[in-house]
Amino acid sequence: MQSLLLYLAVGALVGYFLSMINRRLGPIVLLALSLYGLFTLWNMPIGSVEGLFGFEDILQFTALSKYFSIITLIVFSCYAFFNIVWISKAKRPHAFNALSILTLFGTLGVFLTPHLIALYIFWEIAVVASLFIVPMGKEESKKATIWYIVISSIGSYMFLYGTFLLYSKFGTFNLFEISGNIASESTGFKWLVSLLLLGAGIAKSGIFPLHVWLRNVHGNAPDTFSAVLSGQLVKMGSYIIALLLGAFPIATMFSQFYAGVNIFSYVLIWLGNISILIGTFMAIKQNDMKMLMAYSTVANGGYILIGLALLDQVGFAGGLFHVINHALAATMIFLSFAAVVYRTGTTKIDEMGGLIFKMPVTFVTYLVGIISIAGIPPTSGFVSKWMIFQSLISKGMFVTAMFAFVGSIGSFLYVFRPLAGVFLGQLKRKDKDVKEAPIVMLIPMIILVALTILWGVFPQQVLVWVTDVQRQFGMEPFKFDGTVLYSSLGHWDSWTVFVMFMVGFIIAAVIYILMPKGKKIPLDDQYTSGEFLHNFDLYHYATKYYAFLEREYEGHPSFEDWYTSIVNVLKAIGKGVDYFVRRTASAYTFWMALVLALLLWVRW
Amino acid sequence: MTALKVAGIFLTAFFFGLTFEGIGRKITARVQRRYGPPWYQNFIDLFKTLSKHGYTHGWIFDFGVIMALGGIIASLGFVPVGGIVAFPGMDNFFVIVYLFTIGSLGMAMGMVGTGNPWASIGVARALTLMLGYEVPYMISIGSMLYFYRTSSISAIMSAQGGDWNLVKFPIGALVALISLQGMLGKEPFEAPMAPAEIASGPMVELSAKYMGLLMLMNTFMEFAEISLFVDLFLGGGTYFVFLLKYLVVWVLVVLISSVLPRFRIEQAVYFYWTVPIILAFVQVFMTVNGFVF
Repeated sequence: MQSLLLYLAVGALVGYFLSMINRRLGPIVLLALSLYGLFTLWNMPIGSVEGLFGFEDILQFTALSKYFSIITLIVFSCYAFFNIVWISKAKRPHAFNALSILTLFGTLGVFLTPHLIALYIFWEIAVVASLFIVPMGKEESKKATIWYIVISSIGSYMFLYGTFLLYSKFGTFNLFEISGNIASESTGFKWLVSLLLLGAGIAKSGIFPLHVWLRNVHGNAPDTFSAVLSGQLVKMGSYIIALLLGAFPIATMFSQFYAGVNIFSYVLIWLGNISILIGTFMAIKQNDMKMLMAYSTVANGGYILIGLALLDQVGFAGGLFHVINHALAATMIFLSFAAVVYRTGTTKIDEMGGLIFKMPVTFVTYLVGIISIAGIPPTSGFVSKWMIFQSLISKGMFVTAMFAFVGSIGSFLYVFRPLAGVFLGQLKRKDKDVKEAPIVMLIPMIILVALTILWGVFPQQVLVWVTDVQRQFGMEPFKFDGTVLYSSLGHWDSWTVFVMFMVGFIIAAVIYILMPKGKKIPLDDQYTSGEFLHNFDLYHYATKYYAFLEREYEGHPSFEDWYTSIVNVLKAIGKGVDYFVRRTASAYTFWMALVLALLLWVRW
Repeated sequence: MTALKVAGIFLTAFFFGLTFEGIGRKITARVQRRYGPPWYQNFIDLFKTLSKHGYTHGWIFDFGVIMALGGIIASLGFVPVGGIVAFPGMDNFFVIVYLFTIGSLGMAMGMVGTGNPWASIGVARALTLMLGYEVPYMISIGSMLYFYRTSSISAIMSAQGGDWNLVKFPIGALVALISLQGMLGKEPFEAPMAPAEIASGPMVELSAKYMGLLMLMNTFMEFAEISLFVDLFLGGGTYFVFLLKYLVVWVLVVLISSVLPRFRIEQAVYFYWTVPIILAFVQVFMTVNGFVF
């Protein structure tokens, strides 16, 4: 672990200078380091302990570290592979490459240490490194960076404060040592510390009320980096949540509330519910495809939080499984968007259309990505959704289940919007000469598609990692036998479902082939209600796709507006102060009058 | 044996699904004081459309149609039909509900792939309507899964014995029936198709065998959805008893649809999110607190 982190730190420098020779060398360095890291950590025995920079035993390789590191390294490998070609469009390639490697260094560090101060330092390295990549994106990305840093620092300062509180009580920074003693503290202290430490996770994984940065940042960051932001950096927040909920004896620390769920978890579950609701309904009304997926990240963060906060055999496993699903799916989707933007230069859904005939592989990547996000078998997204639903129903938590169902059905709506607007429908005339993305971009996308389907049909590998984590935290591990998954409400077999899926598909295909062949006609040979159309660009339904639904919640309250109004209040106060200290005649008069008045008052 | 049972389910769905659809058309016609087509009209329609040369709009259109039918066939295999249970214990409610969406997604994708905006509007409406009916449906069924401590359809079917769930969960059954009306796309929840308004929506560009394949898909989908209702609330039963119960539910649905006008799409969603959701939570409250008759 120590050597891997050192290689990454040095690799950032090396990547910077190599990028000066040829900008494509930077991503290659990142790819090599990620693959090396994947190989090392995959084979590393759980429980290894190492020092770092002379500090003894600061790195500890737990089952949770392994799970999150593998997700991170898969995402980063695909990102680096994709960047080899995409980097030609980057604004500052050297810095971009170096900071990407540094982001990986920071996040891996976070996953590998239980020492709270070291964790905080690595956390800040990851945040700062990614902070400087974000403004390399669109015009508005500089403003987005401010959102990013403000919300991130709210989270990380809460974390730091909680750490110091714990240190003043227990005299140690090691989380696992602290968690053994915390149960005997006062209730107020336990609430305060748990909420402060979780604040970092909530801010980072885009949970309500700190979800507002995702739309700006994911939407405006450089196209491929959005994949890392949504697929990986957000998962850093999920890691903190999983680590704290698992390591702290939450179930005994707080009193029971309903159906064996304690009051603290219940608060978190409600935050998850609201995140799902906001994420889903805001995603439905976005016209920018990257912002749409940013809100989808909010909703999926809610799912992960609900699953983890259930802290039981099935729900916790479902939450953890959802982390890898969403990481893979979000990476796939953002990479396919990056390929689309690489070719067409826009992220607005209604400025595109019919790209499927030009970019079929990109389309298939997006399709499998959304099938996984929507939780449809035979992709891995269904496995985790099934687990979360089973847990909610078996506990009788129907209100939360309602939010989960709304988020799940709502995800069909919002993922279909880019599908219909960007890939299907009429091909725009300006896009007539668009070609498929270069082969180097397609390879990582195909790998992700294969992984998603593989883990949807054979989820054992992921479930082994997940149950290892549950054993580490002393929970009853999720029960599975080969491809058959069990919960207290029954079981299902992913392989049988896949076979039935293939059977259905083959029957349909056979009927299709046996029947007379259809004649191919162009897209502009259409039913047009009897009108003569000259411009088929306009015969494409993509603007305000769900107008009839959006109308129903038009005047919704917005936290983004609310935060902006706080900013405006601060600005107004600043303006007021500014007025009194500026070197203008009125300010001089004011101060003079004030001084005279004071003198008079003191004298008499 | 499993293969035989699956084949039995498919053949039942094919013959009785189409027959009952024909009967439904006859009933609608009688309610509207028309003579109506013969009961075997749907067989004629199907074989006629399947045997014609049609027009296609590219590979995604073809693929979407195959995916639609394939997905529905796959999920139909998991639905218990009377005594025929192909996958005992494995017929998990959520698996079936989510397998269904493969078919819907395939249809939506293929139809929007034609490039006709009417199809897009129809699909957007269908998805929105789905957001309406699925949520109360899943909550009301969820309360039943909670009561029986299993999410296997066949286990719930056999656990009912002589007492139907219709009696044990009357409010849940009402919610499921209202949702069923939306799932089947029958009036008053007919906005996604709306022939007179948006040129049949998703189906606007369909011709010949593509139309035929989607008609078959629609038949299978209806069969699976009503079968689920019969299994969950009316106790399933032996093969012919099951079909009789099926026919009763189907005639009820057709009768309701033949006398009602159409909700606008936002009215439909608004309705689903007020009345059925509240009723579903009343049922949940009763189930969780042990008020099950």
